[in-house]
Amino acid sequence: MKQFAALVQCELKVFFRDRTTFLITFLFPLVFILIFGFLMGGEDVERVAVGLYLAEDSGARLLEDAVARRAGLQHELYPSRAALEDALQERRVDMGVVWDGSQLILLYDPAMVQRQGVLAQLAAGLASDFNLRRQGLDHVVVVDREHVGLAAAANWFNMVVPAIIAFSILSAAVFAVSGHITAMKERKILDRLTVTPLRPLAFLLAVVFVRLCVVYFSTLITLFTAMAVFKVDFHMDWPRYTLFVAASTVGMMGFGALITLAVRRPSSASNVANVLAMIMMFMSGIFFPVEIMPPFLQFISRAFPLTYIAEGLRFTTGVIDMAPARFFAITAALVGLALLLLPGLARYVVRPERR
Amino acid sequence: MNGILNLGYCSLRAWLRERITLFWSLFFPVFLLILLGVIFGGGDGEGYMRFHIGLVNLDRDAEHKAFAGLVEAAFAELAHRAEEYRDQLFILTRPTEGEDAEEFLLAEREALRQGQRAAVVVIPAGFSEEVFRAMHGTPGSLQAEVKVLYGHGDASSELAASIVEQVLTRLERELLIQAELYDPQQEVRVDASWVGTADGAARYIDFLLPGVILMAFLTNGLFGVPGSILYARDQRILRRYWVTPLTVRRYLIGFSLSMLGMCALQLGILWALGRWAFGAQVQLAAPAPVLYLLLSAVTFLALGFLISSVAKTANAGMAIANILNMPLLFLSGIFFPVTGLPVVLQALVYSNPVTYLVDGMRASLGVGTGQVPLWATVTVPLLWIALAAAVAGRRLQWDVDR
Repeated sequence: MKQFAALVQCELKVFFRDRTTFLITFLFPLVFILIFGFLMGGEDVERVAVGLYLAEDSGARLLEDAVARRAGLQHELYPSRAALEDALQERRVDMGVVWDGSQLILLYDPAMVQRQGVLAQLAAGLASDFNLRRQGLDHVVVVDREHVGLAAAANWFNMVVPAIIAFSILSAAVFAVSGHITAMKERKILDRLTVTPLRPLAFLLAVVFVRLCVVYFSTLITLFTAMAVFKVDFHMDWPRYTLFVAASTVGMMGFGALITLAVRRPSSASNVANVLAMIMMFMSGIFFPVEIMPPFLQFISRAFPLTYIAEGLRFTTGVIDMAPARFFAITAALVGLALLLLPGLARYVVRPERR
Repeated sequence: MNGILNLGYCSLRAWLRERITLFWSLFFPVFLLILLGVIFGGGDGEGYMRFHIGLVNLDRDAEHKAFAGLVEAAFAELAHRAEEYRDQLFILTRPTEGEDAEEFLLAEREALRQGQRAAVVVIPAGFSEEVFRAMHGTPGSLQAEVKVLYGHGDASSELAASIVEQVLTRLERELLIQAELYDPQQEVRVDASWVGTADGAARYIDFLLPGVILMAFLTNGLFGVPGSILYARDQRILRRYWVTPLTVRRYLIGFSLSMLGMCALQLGILWALGRWAFGAQVQLAAPAPVLYLLLSAVTFLALGFLISSVAKTANAGMAIANILNMPLLFLSGIFFPVTGLPVVLQALVYSNPVTYLVDGMRASLGVGTGQVPLWATVTVPLLWIALAAAVAGRRLQWDVDR
């Protein structure tokens, strides 16, 4: 036990001395959260600022009324089209509507490519409302939207936070093996350990234990930062969250072991891990939903563990629902991955380096 | 001159032989262009849309059920027609023959909760009668409701619900026209207009391509330059150069040429991919974009030298590059416009040279409105080059023992 405690202490010191690993574990998720939090605003995804320039009185009130009654819109009146165009160019409004008495001119910023579709839909709805009102009609059919699911999923940023945590777990756990252990192998530190009474399993357990604690602590910092800075709500299921973070960490250490065992040179392992992590980050529904990808990309996405870790964390933070059986199946699969691959890593620790 | 060219050629070959450099400099930008192009390049920038939608009709009114049937038929036709053309917008799930509608709804609700449906459309009991009354009674006095169950905050579910609303709005218009309550001749003309010089919305691929090209150049500068120079210094390869007639100035020119060669290679590959695979139409061969491309390559080269001059080892250089990479990319508008940031982050955005380069580049290509003044898109990167040159000139060590 003393030996294990000494190993843990030693590993902790190594972790905090290694600035790169420290930054990957603690700083990266925070930087992501801050950037995306401010970019997404922690706001409702539907909120659109519309600028109105009503050049002609006739019908102006009807149009303003139609805009005011549309949910998710905020509007502001502008004294001239030029002022409205300036506001649009400076991105104080998302779109402009000009009414000259005979036609509606919808003004867009051409650079807002990702929102064009949403804005066009909104404009179509507005035009429809306005036309109905001008003919003294109201909608015959209205849509009553009902949110189904957990109240915590207030916007897409809610979904992004657990996904960023998932990516930070993946990075920290994979690099613990593919970066830290392989570096020790390369510097022949592990070879020296093999001539001591220290058992490889005890060494690995110390590495796993330290990473478990550090990763868990890092996820809490990220989570609480998001909650404090952006006022996002999570309905935390702490026991399941703790269990899942632990399972994900050891599972991804198993994945790191797989990479390490598969590559020829220890130094290549961190490169391969880096490449895989980056590909997974873009294809696992972290920044945009998997559902909007073409089927073949969705298929690839389903093959990446990060997709399931993000899903599990979204569930344990109360952002999405999931069948308990599915949650436990994912957790078991991650633990299984660790149990299957980490013993291979123990053999790697004592294996002489291939030349 | 031959020595410089040989050194440039040699450095370029060394870059191309290094697999990890090849990945970050060539494969990753290509991967990103393909991925984002395939997902968002469909025209409206919203992604590939195929939603799994449940539809349940609870209206059992035999007298007026035609209206509920019309809504049902409209969705079924849309799903079926799309299926025929292999461009399905909806995959529609409806109760099977004899299946209880209420039980089906419960199951669909659960499927939506579990993320297996993007939305569920519910035509409530009495819907047809309400439509009938609304159309023939006092206008505006009654409105028939269609319930759309969706996941608030889930981007794909929000999108699916919006499309369902659009379909219903069009259907309503048709119903009102058929009932002679609505005169399509009196509809106001709706025109779209774009601020700036653009005569239409930029296509996502045209917006994306210059950004990915600049990202590839940035990768060279941030990772390639410190990686090569610091590694060569740490491994004492540079020291061997200094016992030859090669001077630091000639080495720098040769190395910079190799970087420009790499940028040209990236540009060629990405441009060809964007043009032939995704139909990008931006004219990169015009004088202004070429100027910005060149300015970008030189700015990022200078940033690379700046990192090399502050890092003590190759590993430290890579760590600094890693830390700078994400803020430089995400706080520049390379992938999406950056708006509504707090002052601290705005300060970072406006001190980021990538912001000016990408803005100037897009404005010169006609795919952006130019968020910063034109003069700044050239001056700020030039200031960064001057700063980097001054720091590197004083601090960059060319030998480990010097």
